[in-house]
Amino acid sequence: MILPIGPIHPGLKEPLRLKLQTQGEKVLKAEIDYGYVHRGIERIMEGKTWQKCIYLAERVCGICSYEHTQTFAETIEKISNVRAPSRAQFLRTITNELDRIQSHLLANSTYFKAMEHETLFMYLLSVREHIMDAIELLTGNRVNMGWNVVGGVRMDAKQVHLDAILEKLKDVEKDLDRYVQIFEQGHLVGLRSKDVGVMTRDEALKGRAVGPIGRASGLKHDLREQHHTYRENFEFKPIWRKEGDNFARTMNRFDEIPQSIDLVRQAINNLPDGDIRTKVEIGSGYVEWRNEAPRGEVVYMAETNGNLIKHISIRTPSIMNIDSCAKYMLKDVATVADAVATYATADPCIACAERVAIIDVDKGETSKDIFDLK
Amino acid sequence: MLNTFKDIVRKSSIHVCLVNCGGCNGCDIEIVALLSPRYDLEQYGIYVHNNPREADVILITGAVTEQWIKKIKRIYSKAPEPKVVACVGNCPLSGDVFNQEGGNVHAPVSDFICVDAEISGCPPRPSEILEAILTVAPGAIASRGREANGKNKKNQVTGGK
Ligand code: SF4
Repeated sequence: MILPIGPIHPGLKEPLRLKLQTQGEKVLKAEIDYGYVHRGIERIMEGKTWQKCIYLAERVCGICSYEHTQTFAETIEKISNVRAPSRAQFLRTITNELDRIQSHLLANSTYFKAMEHETLFMYLLSVREHIMDAIELLTGNRVNMGWNVVGGVRMDAKQVHLDAILEKLKDVEKDLDRYVQIFEQGHLVGLRSKDVGVMTRDEALKGRAVGPIGRASGLKHDLREQHHTYRENFEFKPIWRKEGDNFARTMNRFDEIPQSIDLVRQAINNLPDGDIRTKVEIGSGYVEWRNEAPRGEVVYMAETNGNLIKHISIRTPSIMNIDSCAKYMLKDVATVADAVATYATADPCIACAERVAIIDVDKGETSKDIFDLK
Repeated sequence: MLNTFKDIVRKSSIHVCLVNCGGCNGCDIEIVALLSPRYDLEQYGIYVHNNPREADVILITGAVTEQWIKKIKRIYSKAPEPKVVACVGNCPLSGDVFNQEGGNVHAPVSDFICVDAEISGCPPRPSEILEAILTVAPGAIASRGREANGKNKKNQVTGGK
């Protein structure tokens, strides 16, 4: 039997259609329909100056909006052969890690909601509000921050704000320890997530899984290791696990939160003085720039022509993760309820994923399977 | 008598369906943040469960994309009659940054369905969304229950583009 889930469904926040081929309760195969939120961002960006594009880059995805502006800014900086001043780089790191914490908390709470553990869902959301406050304190906005510009950041941070952020991080750490234990040692939640939706290392490689999803399956790959700011200024080691099941994915995200908190602390304590923005003469050329977003690697490939952007292409992590979720994690899941929970651990972010929509003009319908993958 | 009774009950139990018809998900996560203990949506008797067939309030986010043109009307017609539509964010109001040359959006949403409340902001703060739902929903739902078939034509599906 084919069981369609979505596009509007209690378990999903964003529109996407999940088709599960089931036999009894068992899920044999899964298929995913995209295309509900294709807005044509790349096309709009063409022929515009960066000042107009950076807002669009921010709105590729609301949850990891920060990383998109940073990657966009760094792409243009790389084309023009400049680097942001080191104070700006540190401030970017602080915001980036705060954004990562809130995104991981949101992802895990969505998973708990999907597996009907309302208590943890509420606990995590209440912790997340502290982080949202910290972000608002620093940048002035909760979601779309408008904080990065090419050549630096828009506003300087005052010491009072940084102190307040450190205070908030303490609160978060105190609460979070307990919630992680509830999940890690609770028998019920553990049983519901261990050995469900397993993706082995080979499968993760084949499905091109990235970010915490890939790292939970044993792919030790974190682009922050290669980023110049992290390499030169911070101590950082990627966190990874071997099991590749729902438990590992959730725990991997939980483990990355203290690490991000630590990075924020390092950045605040060693924050150098100086400018927050340099003047940039936009050069011409083609550059590919990668960064680690909360969900994995995001790539911007941009070609500029003097001041204008000639062509830009954005690849977000979600598309690979959702693909590998459909192909490998959802295969042979025991029940439909587990399938929805497994889908939630892949941390799908549909708004990111929609780069291309192919429309068949004759039939007037959107193509479901562009490359005949079936 | 029965109607009065229904009104009282309806006012204190509002079911919300969230429809993202193509934006970034900034507005959606602000609605999820509403569920958190700080804002605690459920203390007002509001319950988010994303099922259009039971919804009293349809929250629309996102600038209508190609795929949603027909579906948005279908979802609207599936919701039972005393219903309220609230647009969250700039996307459904104007298309926000996506409504430019090259974009693939068909905003505003009011071209397709009838809209009762509009909350601007990109994204609006959770407290603003909460305030809007509370201002518009209980009154509109209660008073519309009986009039919907007769006098109050405003609530019907408009023709679309
Ligand atoms: S209004 Fe802004 S935050 Fe909301 S969906 Fe549209 S672009 Fe995203």
